[in-house]
Amino acid sequence: MKTSHRMSEILDALPADLGEEAAPEGSMVELLRSLAHRPVPTGRLVRLWALGSLQAKIAAGYLAYWLKSGFTGEEEKERRKKQAHVDAAIKLLGGMGYLRGAIMKVGQALAQYPKIVPEQYVEVLSSLYFEAPPMHFSLLREFVRNELGADPEELFDDFETEAFAAASLGQVHRARLKSGEPVAVKVQYPNIARAIAADFKNMKALLAPLRGTRDWQNLVDQIEDVRTTLEIETDYTREIEFMERARSALASEDDIVIPRSYPELSSRRVLTMQYLEGVHLTEFLEGNPSQPQRDLHAAQITLLTFRLFYEARMSYADPNPGNFIFMDDGRLGLIDFGCCRVFSDDEQELMELGLAALLHGGDAQTQMIKKASLLTDEEAKDEKRREALGSVLDWFWEPLRYDGEFEFDDEYLRRGIELMSELVSRRYVRSMPIAIWNNRLFYGYRALMYRLGPRINVKRLHDSELQRAGLGG
Amino acid sequence: MRITAKAREEVRERILSAGKSLFHRKGFAGTTTRDISRAAAIAVGTLFNYFPNKESLGMSILAEALERGRSRFLGEDRGIPTLEEALFAHVASELREMRPHRSFVGPVLETAMSPFGPSQVSSEGEKARQDHLATVAEMIIDRFGLDAATSVTLQLYWSLYLGVLAFWSRDDSPHQEDTLAMLDQATRLFVASLSAPARDDHEGGKR
Repeated sequence: MKTSHRMSEILDALPADLGEEAAPEGSMVELLRSLAHRPVPTGRLVRLWALGSLQAKIAAGYLAYWLKSGFTGEEEKERRKKQAHVDAAIKLLGGMGYLRGAIMKVGQALAQYPKIVPEQYVEVLSSLYFEAPPMHFSLLREFVRNELGADPEELFDDFETEAFAAASLGQVHRARLKSGEPVAVKVQYPNIARAIAADFKNMKALLAPLRGTRDWQNLVDQIEDVRTTLEIETDYTREIEFMERARSALASEDDIVIPRSYPELSSRRVLTMQYLEGVHLTEFLEGNPSQPQRDLHAAQITLLTFRLFYEARMSYADPNPGNFIFMDDGRLGLIDFGCCRVFSDDEQELMELGLAALLHGGDAQTQMIKKASLLTDEEAKDEKRREALGSVLDWFWEPLRYDGEFEFDDEYLRRGIELMSELVSRRYVRSMPIAIWNNRLFYGYRALMYRLGPRINVKRLHDSELQRAGLGG
Repeated sequence: MRITAKAREEVRERILSAGKSLFHRKGFAGTTTRDISRAAAIAVGTLFNYFPNKESLGMSILAEALERGRSRFLGEDRGIPTLEEALFAHVASELREMRPHRSFVGPVLETAMSPFGPSQVSSEGEKARQDHLATVAEMIIDRFGLDAATSVTLQLYWSLYLGVLAFWSRDDSPHQEDTLAMLDQATRLFVASLSAPARDDHEGGKR
């Protein structure tokens, strides 16, 4: 295979030492900002099936380097044995065409900031930035027929043959119901869900012998978490459940719209939902909105974030701008619930512990850090580690503690990134999988705020959501 | 005793219908020409006046399905823009019609359309092949010009096509969705081979 061949060249050509030089100033701000810039519905569906870009090669190369560095110092024979497994895993990763987006993302981050590899790797993997090749209408028609029992032309009054947006693992088409309502129909590429599941299974099997290396088990757990999440993400009937759960936590006066779903025109692989008319963030900002308009939408996003978190008890881990619709009448639409997670009891406990830490600090904070970062008693006593983890938390909570108009400016973002980088360079990256989800949620939220530039009191909105959910404040 | 063309057609239909139901019920291998004759209430010898062997009968059933699929595709005229999609839609339309017979597509095609077998095994198979390829050639010429539809190109296409049919006949994924992905990628691959610049274009400057 051509890809494998290139991969082996990359493995051979890995740098011996990545060097300690710092990233160019501001580059991580760019990176964080780019979290809010993930290419989503642009109408252009230029996606490639094969892994071939320079970025992807760089990413795979660094990833390999990082994996290798995880067990330096081991006995040569043992090391070589493990090495072979890592190489095989990397090759497999390289062959997963739909992972190309994710790998490119890692590549972009790494080119500027090699130290951040593991964190970015897991985070990007968690972002489920997967790609499927575009489908032409004839393919889509066969697939819809298989899934829903009839051709799209029979099921809908009108069905646009060209997709208007890309979705993870598929694409979205506009259509009109027989009753006249405009809808968006999301269709998954055939067999991709099963292909991904199989690939992950293989990857896990390949990596199994590495168990025992430092923090490795945690990474394997994280990958397993991603895999099960993907299983959920590729099942659109679950997405309908998430949408309904979110909707039930919102009232009409919140001016936030969750699209209606049509289960009778949906399946595990096809999802029909209400089409929301409006623009995405970039277009909204291009219209030079007034400060009150910015504030209005920033407040809606803030309310939505905390409402889902505290009342619906779910993490909406994909707050990228493509998923928000700024509607003409001032309402805010939230689409795409593929990347959601409802808290388990254990995660809910962590959330409550986090809340106690936010409100009271002290012992609650120590406990929370220990739980979220899966620290042993010994590690929890390490003051340096506690301090490093604590300062990231404090950074996260700054807007929630400041009773005034909080500024999400460059300086704030840069500080956060420095703190995170510090954690990564000290390898304090072990965590409960949910922590990564919440990181994505709250980083994404900050990136959105950064671009909207609102003058709002986040603390008050947060407090009122806490009260509403009966969690004090 | 002379029989009319109408009566002859009726008997033929009866044999085909008996063949279909027996192939479904007992499988292709498990069905004999004797079983079919009995079910169609004719003498075994009579069956051979219509079909020289079981494979030929099976291929006739499939050929009819293929023909229905092709006609529907040609009748639809959706103005499909790309060759990839047109090739895909053509085959997909055939597969829809052949789906009820999927259980015996493999054994029938293995003999009637085998790339290694002599073409006279089944005249129905050979006719179906030619009809299919004629449609494909027309689509290629429409979009890529006369030069693109060479015998080599069509043989390449045919190999991919048989590969897809073989895959489909054994595909146990839900609704054979794996075949859809396979067909999609096979048609892309084929069209990419047509679009790739010829060697001469690359090295033209060196001469």
